[in-house]
Amino acid sequence: MKFKDYYATLGVEREASNDEIKKAFRKLARKYHPDVAKDQESDHKFKEINEAYQTLSDQEKREAYDQLGRHSPGEEFRPSPEWDSRFWQDGVSQGGGSQGGGVPTGAQTIDLADLFEQMGFRSVHQGRSGEAAFSRRGQDYEVATTISHEDAARGSEVALDLGVPEMGRDGTLHRVSKTVRLRVPKGVIDGERLRVAGRGAAGIGKGPAGDLYLTIRLQPHRLFKAVGHDLYLEVPITPSEAVLGGDIEVPSLDGRLTLNVKPGTRGGQTLRLVGKGLPKRKQGSGNLYCVLQIVTPPALSDRERELYQELGELSTFQPRLHLQDGPKGGQSNG
Amino acid sequence: MAEEILLITDDDQPIGLDELLDASGLVHDDVIELVAIGVFQPLGTTSTWTFQARTLHQARRAARLRDDFGLNAPGMALALTYLERMEVLESRLRELESLLPRP
Repeated sequence: MKFKDYYATLGVEREASNDEIKKAFRKLARKYHPDVAKDQESDHKFKEINEAYQTLSDQEKREAYDQLGRHSPGEEFRPSPEWDSRFWQDGVSQGGGSQGGGVPTGAQTIDLADLFEQMGFRSVHQGRSGEAAFSRRGQDYEVATTISHEDAARGSEVALDLGVPEMGRDGTLHRVSKTVRLRVPKGVIDGERLRVAGRGAAGIGKGPAGDLYLTIRLQPHRLFKAVGHDLYLEVPITPSEAVLGGDIEVPSLDGRLTLNVKPGTRGGQTLRLVGKGLPKRKQGSGNLYCVLQIVTPPALSDRERELYQELGELSTFQPRLHLQDGPKGGQSNG
Repeated sequence: MAEEILLITDDDQPIGLDELLDASGLVHDDVIELVAIGVFQPLGTTSTWTFQARTLHQARRAARLRDDFGLNAPGMALALTYLERMEVLESRLRELESLLPRP
């Protein structure tokens, strides 16, 4: 497995006190914690920081880690046989395979985090013989999936790949790729968290299984922007359509709709199509908001230019009258 | 590959106190204090408390904040309130951004 320098991750010396380790973790967590930062990079960073802290903040895990010796980060290494016999506790697997269907993938190996997670240091205190003495609830699995707006609207089925560390019969750890299929009901929204009770990791001893949590991400749509169950669509219209009004066609998630643009429409004006947004879980749907934007032609033919000029000379419309009020100014058209 | 298709746990059903504690990692005293502060709103009387399923997401977040930042219950309550307020504002911001022409 690849070595990771947990001390470097937290930015502390190898001799750091528990207090210094805790402080270093909190300082980094304040910046990268998933409840503070939302970007992927921070998420990744926090996982590393958390992994380092989970090991170094536990006296026994820290000792075991220290005994692995010094290696360069990323260097391949194997714990020595002495280390194995001193720190390794067998019989504390996650009770793998009980849910069936796991596909072992030999190419995937476990990493340092799995090793410490599964070592079962705490069982040492429960006595080596008392296997029933220690129970712990299984870990929760947290996964995310990205689905299209269309799938959110009609419901879908997703395949989730859970990389689960499991202990084989020979006592070695493997990372097992386990695929589960999950029915995502219609009406989910971006950022929603779905729970499947009891489908996380199996419990240890008599502990119950953890839960499976799935976070939904909506794939950005080419046309629509979703806010909850509402959809927003930017609809460009020509200056003449804005002035004269008319029926225009707009797309929606279920086919094309006709939108009536009133004469004298202003740029930025929003038309609401009730119930044409994303369906909700039980009943009803969000709305589709068409945001009208008046656009000008990128190029004009000579004839068009002539007509615009003529129209400009003819028109008595004065949109900037309120700006000519003298030095007082400050009027807003809000 | 497993053929079984998992279904999500019905989140219309309220969850009991034991399930909330088990699934979130909060302890009983945390929950009592978070209810007293008003962050969690249980249904029923003290002996028969049940919670809306969304409380579980709040509770897991609270437990995470407690573990990672050493927050006590008032701290968890304050952080949860701020985080939820931020989410409302972020949603409002997305809504307003959707009204602007694309750059």
